[in-house]
Amino acid sequence: MAQQYGRLKKKPVGKMIVYGIASVLLYAALFLNQGTITALFTRGSWYALFPIATAFAISFVHGGFTGYVWSVLGIEATKKALRTRPEEKRTYDTERPQPQPRLRARV
Amino acid sequence: MLNIPLEAANFIDLNYMNVLYLFIVGFIGGLVSGFIGSGGAFVLTPGMMSLGVPGLVAVASNMCHKFPKALVGAIKRAKYGQVDVKLGIIFGIFAEAGVFYGAHIQEKIKAAFGDAGSNLYVSVAFVVVLAVVGGLVLLDAVKTHRSGNADSEEKVSALAKWVQSVNIPGTMIYFKSLKAKVSLLFIIPLGFATGMLAATIAVGGFIGVPSMIYVLGAPSLMGSATELVVAFIMGLGGSFKYALHGLVDIRLAGIILAGSLFGIQLGAIGTTYVKPFMIKLVMGVIMVIVLFSRALMVPVYLSQLGLIQTLTDSTVKILKSTSFAIMTFALLIGAFIVLQAMYKGRKAEREVAEKVVIENA
Repeated sequence: MAQQYGRLKKKPVGKMIVYGIASVLLYAALFLNQGTITALFTRGSWYALFPIATAFAISFVHGGFTGYVWSVLGIEATKKALRTRPEEKRTYDTERPQPQPRLRARV
Repeated sequence: MLNIPLEAANFIDLNYMNVLYLFIVGFIGGLVSGFIGSGGAFVLTPGMMSLGVPGLVAVASNMCHKFPKALVGAIKRAKYGQVDVKLGIIFGIFAEAGVFYGAHIQEKIKAAFGDAGSNLYVSVAFVVVLAVVGGLVLLDAVKTHRSGNADSEEKVSALAKWVQSVNIPGTMIYFKSLKAKVSLLFIIPLGFATGMLAATIAVGGFIGVPSMIYVLGAPSLMGSATELVVAFIMGLGGSFKYALHGLVDIRLAGIILAGSLFGIQLGAIGTTYVKPFMIKLVMGVIMVIVLFSRALMVPVYLSQLGLIQTLTDSTVKILKSTSFAIMTFALLIGAFIVLQAMYKGRKAEREVAEKVVIENA
């Protein structure tokens, strides 16, 4: 039954493969050229942007891949988390005052 | 700073064992960071140094893996509605200032008292902060668990209620995580202290998260998630500073990221399955265990400074190894609690889902 329940949602296998290949290519480029890259990235000054940009690229490509891996494995956030935002539970001091019924008498 | 190019030239050769070690430590560190917002990286700097990486390169590479990891974690947790971006950015800006000031203090201490003096300062900061803050966080988590109110809504602390009640015209900002306005004048010192701690012990979140929860009044889930935004800002600024001197070994940062990006996603998913007090419990447990790890090193530095009797080499070696082992244990126990809580949460949800399917059949 639980398996049936899990199968209801389509798993992002295609996206995982695409991001996985991109991640492998990125890491391969980094480690196959590590001598050149290390020499270039450690020159300091404006070359500092290279390691920063590479870190961003890894976070986007490999981060996307790891996210899809967990989804494909069926490890995802509880449905409750996506429905109920934690901050919405705390309603003290922000409740709008209920409109009070008024009696309007015309004389 | 004259020795920096030499240190940068000492980038280590990587073998399979080194890569595997960094990947696994990265994964566990990422898991803990995704769950409590920080705290997963403190093992990495000594871990890299144990492989022969020079100290400054280890700190720089650790920093460079932290900001992309925090970015991925923050985006993931923002999808669950747990991130207060405005609070994170404002807090992060002042934390960045704290990082620079903290690094400046470190340099001054190092210049005046040498490496031993600097290490003693770091260890004392560790012990004092972790004892006070870690003790309070752990006590609160245990109290909540024992009270049987773990399922109920988190209460805003008396201090946070007072902070939210103070109205200083021209400085008030509304934050969605607090559902209230808070004066910027309270955020500045908290952010600054977070940054100073990050510059000193590499984990600013040990002040950042508890201050958001207990001083500002944010729920645990939102405090820990918002800390990821703060860590991103601090990490980005710090990485750039180190990269300007050519100290970042992008290979090390890349390997750690390879593991930690798996871990941080899992840790973030884990937060959706647990009760809020679990965040405090994991954070408190890690902080208190790490406290013992650093306390063990205090006699070593005191002896190096000549303030106590000189310790033998074998004693120093034993104390250093035990300290590192306890630190690693802290991370492992944190990861274990996260995984166990997540397993229980998933199991409970699966059982509910099965029940619904059976009832509808």
